[in-house]
Amino acid sequence: MKNEREEEIDALMARLADGDRSVFSLVFKRLWGPTHRLCNSMLKNEADASDAAQQAMQKILERASDYDPKRRAMPWALALAAWECRTLRRRRGRRREEPEDIAGETASESSEEDFLQRDLAQAALVALGELSDVDRETLVATFWEEAATVSGATLRKRRERAIERLRGAFRRLYGFD
Amino acid sequence: MDSTDLARAEHSARLRYEWARVRRSLIGFAPILIVVGVAVAIGRHRTATVCFGLATFVAGVAMLWYGREFKRAVLPGVAAGIVPLAMALCASHVEHGCTGDGCMMLCVPACTVGGIIAGLAVANIANERGRSVWFWVSASSIALLTGAMGCTCPGYPGLVGLVLGYGAGLVPTLLRRLFARPPAS
Repeated sequence: MKNEREEEIDALMARLADGDRSVFSLVFKRLWGPTHRLCNSMLKNEADASDAAQQAMQKILERASDYDPKRRAMPWALALAAWECRTLRRRRGRRREEPEDIAGETASESSEEDFLQRDLAQAALVALGELSDVDRETLVATFWEEAATVSGATLRKRRERAIERLRGAFRRLYGFD
Repeated sequence: MDSTDLARAEHSARLRYEWARVRRSLIGFAPILIVVGVAVAIGRHRTATVCFGLATFVAGVAMLWYGREFKRAVLPGVAAGIVPLAMALCASHVEHGCTGDGCMMLCVPACTVGGIIAGLAVANIANERGRSVWFWVSASSIALLTGAMGCTCPGYPGLVGLVLGYGAGLVPTLLRRLFARPPAS
Protein backbone atom coordinates (compact mmCIF):
# COMPACT_ATOMS: atom_id res chain seq x y z
CA MET A 1 0.00 0.00 0.00
CA LYS A 2 2.89 2.34 0.77
CA ASN A 3 4.25 1.86 -2.77
CA GLU A 4 0.86 2.73 -4.24
CA ARG A 5 0.70 5.87 -2.11
CA GLU A 6 4.21 6.88 -3.15
CA GLU A 7 3.40 6.29 -6.79
CA GLU A 8 0.22 8.28 -6.45
CA ILE A 9 1.98 11.33 -4.96
CA ASP A 10 4.73 11.07 -7.61
CA ALA A 11 2.10 11.06 -10.37
CA LEU A 12 0.16 13.94 -8.81
CA MET A 13 3.29 16.04 -8.37
CA ALA A 14 4.31 15.37 -11.98
CA ARG A 15 0.89 16.54 -13.17
CA LEU A 16 1.12 19.67 -11.03
CA ALA A 17 4.60 20.38 -12.40
CA ASP A 18 3.14 20.08 -15.88
CA GLY A 19 0.48 22.70 -15.06
CA ASP A 20 -2.53 20.55 -14.17
CA ARG A 21 -4.09 22.78 -11.51
CA SER A 22 -6.96 20.36 -10.90
CA VAL A 23 -4.67 18.28 -8.65
CA PHE A 24 -3.40 21.22 -6.57
CA SER A 25 -5.72 20.69 -3.62
CA LEU A 26 -5.09 16.95 -3.65
CA VAL A 27 -1.31 17.46 -3.62
CA PHE A 28 -1.65 19.99 -0.80
CA LYS A 29 -3.75 17.60 1.31
CA ARG A 30 -1.45 14.60 0.61
CA LEU A 31 1.68 16.55 1.57
CA TRP A 32 0.28 18.55 4.50
CA GLY A 33 -0.03 15.63 6.93
CA PRO A 34 3.50 14.20 6.56
CA THR A 35 5.02 17.70 6.40
CA HIS A 36 3.24 18.83 9.57
CA ARG A 37 4.18 15.63 11.41
CA LEU A 38 7.81 16.01 10.38
CA CYS A 39 7.90 19.63 11.57
CA ASN A 40 6.27 18.59 14.85
CA SER A 41 8.85 15.87 15.42
CA MET A 42 11.74 18.24 14.61
CA LEU A 43 10.53 21.32 16.49
CA LYS A 44 8.60 19.72 19.37
CA ASN A 45 6.31 22.74 19.52
CA GLU A 46 2.89 22.94 17.87
CA ALA A 47 2.99 26.69 17.09
CA ASP A 48 6.47 26.54 15.54
CA ALA A 49 5.60 23.32 13.72
CA SER A 50 2.51 24.91 12.16
CA ASP A 51 4.52 27.95 11.06
CA ALA A 52 7.29 25.80 9.63
CA ALA A 53 4.84 23.44 7.92
CA GLN A 54 3.00 26.35 6.29
CA GLN A 55 6.24 27.89 5.07
CA ALA A 56 7.45 24.49 3.90
CA MET A 57 4.23 23.85 1.95
CA GLN A 58 4.54 27.25 0.30
CA LYS A 59 8.12 26.53 -0.65
CA ILE A 60 7.30 23.01 -1.89
CA LEU A 61 4.44 24.21 -4.05
CA GLU A 62 6.38 27.24 -5.24
CA ARG A 63 8.98 24.82 -6.55
CA ALA A 64 6.44 22.29 -7.83
CA SER A 65 7.11 23.34 -11.44
CA ASP A 66 10.79 22.42 -10.92
CA TYR A 67 9.91 18.91 -9.73
CA ASP A 68 11.74 16.24 -11.71
CA PRO A 69 9.38 13.27 -12.32
CA LYS A 70 12.40 10.93 -12.28
CA ARG A 71 12.80 11.59 -8.54
CA ARG A 72 10.44 10.56 -5.76
CA ALA A 73 8.20 13.38 -4.63
CA MET A 74 7.87 12.66 -0.91
CA PRO A 75 11.62 12.65 -0.03
CA TRP A 76 12.01 15.80 -2.09
CA ALA A 77 9.13 17.53 -0.29
CA LEU A 78 10.22 16.34 3.16
CA ALA A 79 13.79 17.47 2.54
CA LEU A 80 12.44 20.97 1.84
CA ALA A 81 10.31 20.77 4.98
CA ALA A 82 13.28 19.65 7.08
CA TRP A 83 15.29 22.57 5.75
CA GLU A 84 12.50 24.99 6.70
CA CYS A 85 12.41 23.53 10.21
CA ARG A 86 16.16 23.99 10.62
CA THR A 87 15.89 27.54 9.27
CA LEU A 88 13.09 28.35 11.70
CA ARG A 89 14.99 26.83 14.59
CA ARG A 90 18.09 28.90 13.76
CA ARG A 91 15.98 32.02 13.37
CA ARG A 92 14.15 31.55 16.63
CA GLY A 93 17.43 30.62 18.28
CA ARG A 94 16.09 29.15 21.42
CA ARG A 95 16.43 25.73 23.00
CA ARG A 96 13.12 24.05 23.65
CA GLU A 97 12.69 21.67 26.50
CA GLU A 98 10.56 18.75 25.68
CA PRO A 99 7.12 19.43 27.23
CA GLU A 100 5.70 16.78 29.58
CA ASP A 101 2.78 15.96 27.31
CA ILE A 102 5.03 15.19 24.31
CA ALA A 103 7.42 13.01 26.33
CA GLY A 104 4.73 10.37 26.59
CA GLU A 105 4.06 10.37 22.85
CA THR A 106 7.69 9.81 21.82
CA ALA A 107 7.56 6.31 23.26
CA SER A 108 5.11 5.14 20.59
CA GLU A 109 6.59 5.71 17.11
CA SER A 110 3.80 5.38 14.56
CA SER A 111 4.41 3.68 11.22
CA GLU A 112 3.88 7.14 9.65
CA GLU A 113 6.86 8.42 11.66
CA ASP A 114 8.95 5.51 10.32
CA PHE A 115 7.74 6.34 6.81
CA LEU A 116 8.85 9.97 7.21
CA GLN A 117 12.21 9.03 8.69
CA ARG A 118 12.75 6.54 5.89
CA ASP A 119 12.05 9.17 3.27
CA LEU A 120 14.41 11.64 4.92
CA ALA A 121 17.11 8.99 5.19
CA GLN A 122 16.61 8.18 1.53
CA ALA A 123 16.92 11.85 0.61
CA ALA A 124 20.18 12.01 2.58
CA LEU A 125 21.47 8.84 0.94
CA VAL A 126 20.67 10.16 -2.54
CA ALA A 127 22.66 13.31 -1.72
CA LEU A 128 25.48 11.15 -0.36
CA GLY A 129 25.43 9.19 -3.59
CA GLU A 130 26.27 12.36 -5.51
CA LEU A 131 29.62 12.63 -3.74
CA SER A 132 32.94 11.07 -4.67
CA ASP A 133 34.22 7.87 -2.99
CA VAL A 134 36.70 9.86 -0.94
CA ASP A 135 34.02 12.23 0.37
CA ARG A 136 31.70 9.33 1.21
CA GLU A 137 34.46 7.48 3.06
CA THR A 138 35.33 10.62 4.99
CA LEU A 139 31.71 11.23 6.05
CA VAL A 140 31.18 7.60 7.03
CA ALA A 141 34.37 7.75 9.10
CA THR A 142 33.17 10.94 10.76
CA PHE A 143 29.56 10.09 11.53
CA TRP A 144 29.75 6.33 11.98
CA GLU A 145 33.13 6.48 13.75
CA GLU A 146 34.68 3.93 11.46
CA ALA A 147 38.39 3.83 10.72
CA ALA A 148 39.48 6.20 7.97
CA THR A 149 42.51 5.81 5.73
CA VAL A 150 43.81 9.17 6.92
CA SER A 151 43.73 10.96 10.26
CA GLY A 152 44.49 14.27 11.95
CA ALA A 153 44.60 17.46 9.92
CA THR A 154 44.11 15.64 6.59
CA LEU A 155 40.90 14.02 7.84
CA ARG A 156 39.65 17.34 9.24
CA LYS A 157 40.24 19.12 5.94
CA ARG A 158 38.58 16.33 3.95
CA ARG A 159 35.64 16.35 6.37
CA GLU A 160 35.10 20.10 5.90
CA ARG A 161 35.18 19.78 2.11
CA ALA A 162 32.94 16.69 2.14
CA ILE A 163 30.31 18.42 4.31
CA GLU A 164 30.40 21.46 2.03
CA ARG A 165 29.93 19.26 -1.01
CA LEU A 166 27.10 17.38 0.73
CA ARG A 167 25.36 20.72 1.37
CA GLY A 168 25.85 21.62 -2.28
CA ALA A 169 24.38 18.27 -3.35
CA PHE A 170 21.33 18.86 -1.13
CA ARG A 171 20.85 22.30 -2.69
CA ARG A 172 21.16 20.93 -6.21
CA LEU A 173 18.85 17.98 -5.64
CA TYR A 174 16.16 19.60 -3.55
CA GLY A 175 16.48 23.13 -4.86
CA PHE A 176 16.57 25.13 -1.68
CA ASP A 177 18.99 27.88 -0.68
CA MET B 1 -4.58 23.98 12.65
CA ASP B 2 -8.28 24.45 11.82
CA SER B 3 -9.82 24.16 8.36
CA THR B 4 -9.97 27.95 7.81
CA ASP B 5 -6.24 28.30 8.46
CA LEU B 6 -5.60 25.33 6.20
CA ALA B 7 -7.69 26.85 3.41
CA ARG B 8 -5.80 30.12 3.82
CA ALA B 9 -2.48 28.26 3.72
CA GLU B 10 -3.55 26.43 0.57
CA HIS B 11 -4.64 29.68 -1.08
CA SER B 12 -1.33 31.31 -0.22
CA ALA B 13 0.57 28.29 -1.56
CA ARG B 14 -1.47 28.41 -4.77
CA LEU B 15 -0.54 32.08 -5.31
CA ARG B 16 3.15 31.26 -4.77
CA TYR B 17 2.82 28.38 -7.26
CA GLU B 18 1.30 30.63 -9.92
CA TRP B 19 3.81 33.44 -9.39
CA ALA B 20 6.67 30.96 -9.61
CA ARG B 21 5.27 29.70 -12.93
CA VAL B 22 4.99 33.27 -14.25
CA ARG B 23 8.61 34.04 -13.24
CA ARG B 24 9.80 30.79 -14.77
CA SER B 25 7.95 31.54 -18.03
CA LEU B 26 9.31 35.08 -18.26
CA ILE B 27 12.87 33.90 -17.73
CA GLY B 28 12.43 30.84 -19.93
CA PHE B 29 11.07 32.75 -22.89
CA ALA B 30 13.28 35.85 -22.53
CA PRO B 31 15.77 34.63 -25.19
CA ILE B 32 13.09 35.23 -27.85
CA LEU B 33 13.67 38.94 -27.25
CA ILE B 34 17.09 38.50 -28.88
CA VAL B 35 15.33 37.21 -32.00
CA VAL B 36 12.92 40.15 -31.82
CA GLY B 37 15.84 42.55 -31.46
CA VAL B 38 17.58 41.12 -34.52
CA ALA B 39 14.34 41.25 -36.55
CA VAL B 40 13.77 44.88 -35.54
CA ALA B 41 17.36 45.82 -36.36
CA ILE B 42 17.30 44.16 -39.79
CA GLY B 43 13.63 44.53 -40.77
CA ARG B 44 12.06 47.36 -42.72
CA HIS B 45 8.80 47.91 -40.87
CA ARG B 46 10.11 48.30 -37.36
CA THR B 47 6.81 49.18 -35.70
CA ALA B 48 5.01 46.15 -37.09
CA THR B 49 7.98 43.93 -36.22
CA VAL B 50 7.96 45.21 -32.63
CA CYS B 51 4.21 44.60 -32.39
CA PHE B 52 4.50 41.03 -33.66
CA GLY B 53 7.56 40.49 -31.48
CA LEU B 54 5.73 41.61 -28.36
CA ALA B 55 2.71 39.50 -29.31
CA THR B 56 5.03 36.49 -29.72
CA PHE B 57 6.61 37.14 -26.33
CA VAL B 58 3.28 37.55 -24.54
CA ALA B 59 1.78 34.48 -26.25
CA GLY B 60 4.85 32.37 -25.47
CA VAL B 61 4.95 33.43 -21.81
CA ALA B 62 1.23 32.75 -21.44
CA MET B 63 1.59 29.29 -22.97
CA LEU B 64 4.59 28.39 -20.82
CA TRP B 65 2.77 29.65 -17.72
CA TYR B 66 -0.37 27.65 -18.50
CA GLY B 67 1.62 24.48 -19.12
CA ARG B 68 0.54 21.14 -20.55
CA GLU B 69 0.09 20.95 -24.35
CA PHE B 70 0.49 24.71 -24.69
CA LYS B 71 3.90 24.62 -23.04
CA ARG B 72 5.03 21.74 -25.24
CA ALA B 73 4.02 23.70 -28.37
CA VAL B 74 6.21 26.75 -27.68
CA LEU B 75 9.63 25.45 -28.68
CA PRO B 76 8.47 23.66 -31.88
CA GLY B 77 6.40 26.73 -32.80
CA VAL B 78 9.31 29.13 -32.39
CA ALA B 79 11.71 26.82 -34.23
CA ALA B 80 9.26 26.48 -37.13
CA GLY B 81 8.53 30.22 -37.20
CA ILE B 82 12.21 31.13 -37.40
CA VAL B 83 12.35 29.60 -40.90
CA PRO B 84 10.02 32.12 -42.64
CA LEU B 85 11.45 34.89 -40.43
CA ALA B 86 15.02 34.19 -41.51
CA MET B 87 14.07 33.68 -45.17
CA ALA B 88 12.11 36.92 -45.30
CA LEU B 89 14.83 38.94 -43.56
CA CYS B 90 17.48 37.53 -45.91
CA ALA B 91 15.29 38.12 -48.98
CA SER B 92 14.69 41.74 -48.04
CA HIS B 93 18.45 42.34 -47.97
CA VAL B 94 19.26 40.67 -51.28
CA GLU B 95 19.65 43.12 -54.16
CA HIS B 96 16.72 42.43 -56.42
CA GLY B 97 15.49 45.82 -57.52
CA CYS B 98 12.32 45.67 -55.44
CA THR B 99 11.10 48.83 -53.84
CA GLY B 100 8.13 49.66 -51.64
CA ASP B 101 5.51 47.35 -50.23
CA GLY B 102 4.11 44.37 -52.02
CA CYS B 103 7.43 43.29 -53.45
CA MET B 104 6.59 40.08 -55.25
CA MET B 105 10.03 39.11 -56.52
CA LEU B 106 11.71 37.64 -53.45
CA CYS B 107 10.14 38.73 -50.18
CA VAL B 108 6.61 37.35 -50.70
CA PRO B 109 7.83 34.01 -52.15
CA ALA B 110 10.30 33.75 -49.26
CA CYS B 111 7.46 34.20 -46.76
CA THR B 112 5.27 31.70 -48.63
CA VAL B 113 7.96 29.02 -48.91
CA GLY B 114 9.04 29.67 -45.32
CA GLY B 115 5.42 29.28 -44.26
CA ILE B 116 5.13 25.95 -46.09
CA ILE B 117 8.27 24.64 -44.36
CA ALA B 118 7.02 25.86 -40.99
CA GLY B 119 3.62 24.22 -41.52
CA LEU B 120 5.20 20.93 -42.56
CA ALA B 121 7.47 21.00 -39.52
CA VAL B 122 4.71 21.68 -36.99
CA ALA B 123 2.37 19.14 -38.59
CA ASN B 124 5.07 16.49 -38.60
CA ILE B 125 5.99 17.01 -34.95
CA ALA B 126 2.35 17.12 -33.84
CA ASN B 127 1.49 13.98 -35.78
CA GLU B 128 4.55 11.94 -34.74
CA ARG B 129 4.10 12.77 -31.06
CA GLY B 130 0.32 12.27 -31.13
CA ARG B 131 -0.37 15.77 -29.84
CA SER B 132 -3.82 17.19 -29.22
CA VAL B 133 -5.57 19.90 -31.22
CA TRP B 134 -4.40 22.45 -28.63
CA PHE B 135 -0.82 21.67 -29.54
CA TRP B 136 -1.58 22.29 -33.22
CA VAL B 137 -3.30 25.59 -32.42
CA SER B 138 -0.60 26.81 -30.00
CA ALA B 139 2.37 25.82 -32.14
CA SER B 140 0.73 27.35 -35.20
CA SER B 141 0.06 30.64 -33.38
CA ILE B 142 3.63 30.92 -32.15
CA ALA B 143 5.05 29.91 -35.55
CA LEU B 144 2.94 32.46 -37.42
CA LEU B 145 3.67 35.27 -34.95
CA THR B 146 7.41 34.52 -35.11
CA GLY B 147 7.40 34.37 -38.92
CA ALA B 148 5.30 37.51 -39.14
CA MET B 149 8.12 39.54 -37.57
CA GLY B 150 10.10 39.07 -40.80
CA CYS B 151 7.21 38.92 -43.25
CA THR B 152 6.21 42.52 -42.60
CA CYS B 153 9.05 43.49 -44.95
CA PRO B 154 6.88 43.31 -48.07
CA GLY B 155 3.84 44.50 -46.12
CA TYR B 156 0.47 42.71 -46.08
CA PRO B 157 1.19 40.42 -49.07
CA GLY B 158 4.06 38.95 -47.07
CA LEU B 159 1.79 38.13 -44.17
CA VAL B 160 -0.86 36.65 -46.47
CA GLY B 161 1.83 34.55 -48.18
CA LEU B 162 3.06 33.33 -44.81
CA VAL B 163 -0.42 32.27 -43.65
CA LEU B 164 -1.33 30.60 -46.95
CA GLY B 165 2.03 28.85 -47.12
CA TYR B 166 1.68 27.66 -43.53
CA GLY B 167 -1.80 26.33 -44.21
CA ALA B 168 -0.52 24.53 -47.31
CA GLY B 169 2.23 22.98 -45.20
CA LEU B 170 -0.32 21.55 -42.77
CA VAL B 171 -2.50 20.01 -45.48
CA PRO B 172 -0.54 16.80 -46.30
CA THR B 173 -0.40 15.68 -42.69
CA LEU B 174 -4.01 16.64 -42.04
CA LEU B 175 -5.10 14.65 -45.08
CA ARG B 176 -2.99 11.69 -43.93
CA ARG B 177 -4.73 11.79 -40.57
CA LEU B 178 -8.14 12.20 -42.14
CA PHE B 179 -7.78 9.26 -44.51
CA ALA B 180 -5.67 7.07 -42.23
CA ARG B 181 -6.98 3.52 -42.06
CA PRO B 182 -8.26 2.61 -38.59
CA PRO B 183 -6.20 -0.17 -36.94
CA ALA B 184 -7.48 -3.68 -37.69
CA SER B 185 -9.64 -4.98 -34.81
